[in-house]
Amino acid sequence: MNRLNFRMAAALLAVGVLTLSVTVSTEVRAQTPVVDPAATQILKRMTDYLGGLKKFSVHTQNTIEDVLDSGQRVDLEISASVVLSRPNKLRAERKGDLIDQIFYYNGKTLTLYNPSNKVYATEPAPGTIEGMLDFARESLGLVIPASDLVYPNAFPLLMQDVTLAVVVDKTFIGGVKCDHLLFSRPGVDFQVWVADSGRPLPRKYVVTDTGSPPMLSNTTVMSDWNVDPAAADARFTFVPPKGTKAITFMPLTVQTPTPKGESK
Amino acid sequence: MKTIPKIVVVSTALVLMLVADIPLLPVRLVPEAQAIFGVWRRTARRCVVIGSAVAVSSATAAAATQTAVAQQQAAAAQKQAAAAQQQAAAAQKEAAAAQHQAAAAAPPSPVAAAAGQPLPLGTVVPMLPAGCITTPVGGVEYYYCGGNFYRAVFQGNNLVYVTAQPK
Repeated sequence: MNRLNFRMAAALLAVGVLTLSVTVSTEVRAQTPVVDPAATQILKRMTDYLGGLKKFSVHTQNTIEDVLDSGQRVDLEISASVVLSRPNKLRAERKGDLIDQIFYYNGKTLTLYNPSNKVYATEPAPGTIEGMLDFARESLGLVIPASDLVYPNAFPLLMQDVTLAVVVDKTFIGGVKCDHLLFSRPGVDFQVWVADSGRPLPRKYVVTDTGSPPMLSNTTVMSDWNVDPAAADARFTFVPPKGTKAITFMPLTVQTPTPKGESK
Repeated sequence: MKTIPKIVVVSTALVLMLVADIPLLPVRLVPEAQAIFGVWRRTARRCVVIGSAVAVSSATAAAATQTAVAQQQAAAAQKQAAAAQQQAAAAQKEAAAAQHQAAAAAPPSPVAAAAGQPLPLGTVVPMLPAGCITTPVGGVEYYYCGGNFYRAVFQGNNLVYVTAQPK
């Protein structure tokens, strides 16, 4: 009787240990990156192609998901026309909810111009598009949507910490057949739709914040790609129209009230 | 007396077997599973993970590809489900847009309520209070209202107004 009891106990214990070990091994497995080379290849082809273009222009429709204080989900829409000429020229005209803005960068200065308010601000800027984008984001807090796709080293930047990369499907964006790619990394999921034949250009780009419960996304749909746009230097330099006033950028660090006012 | 260890062992085993389904424990099957496609995915992915864990002995590239394919199928299936829900959401979207317009139109300036009192220098407001007078000082445009001078600045992409001392 005693022996039977012991055997039974041993058996049950074994079952328990087995369950635990399976649980632990699946845990380890869940953290192992699942990266389909087919997905990363398409992403790399796209970023290489985009990074190699001397100049391009594109129309973007940017949708920013938001939640009202009253709890409803709403979208903010921004339409933009972007012209880029490497290594050091960029112009972006953006219109939409709460924004009416033209951004100029001519290799020496960057200017933000609000036509409806008739104000603009100009700052000296680094000599390359990438340097300027870093400066604009880190020092001025400027956001230029989908700019992470135009960096020459966009591929390693995008693939950093990626734990999942899959080709979801083939589908159509704006009438163009695309590969739908899904990538995941801690806190952020992103999806890219890349034209599956001809020029491997991105047609749609969705970044989802998975770090907070509403899981809001920022969606950019790209159309009217032109890899040989008119890119005369004059398009990238701001000439203030009559009646516009120069203002300044607020440095990112100055968020708290200053006792002595601004010493501009 | 003999039944006590029996009960202890049986209940321990049961608890251990339940570990997989107790969400609060530090050991979880798929951490942040819902980070990909919401709650549905949790179920789908768990099946995939358990299924592939059977063949855990050879963790080769082939196994990774299998998992990728399975997840791809799961993602495609969920995409279809999402499309169905989209129709229902479309109706609600119109209502939300109307409310958004209403929210944008309303002047929600909390500072305007405090007009009349001088604000600390460097206070940022999204829009000017009503009735500001434009006064250029040293080539810079200031707006005077409610006992405060404001100056327009870009805070990131946003045009805001900050209280300042004209000089």
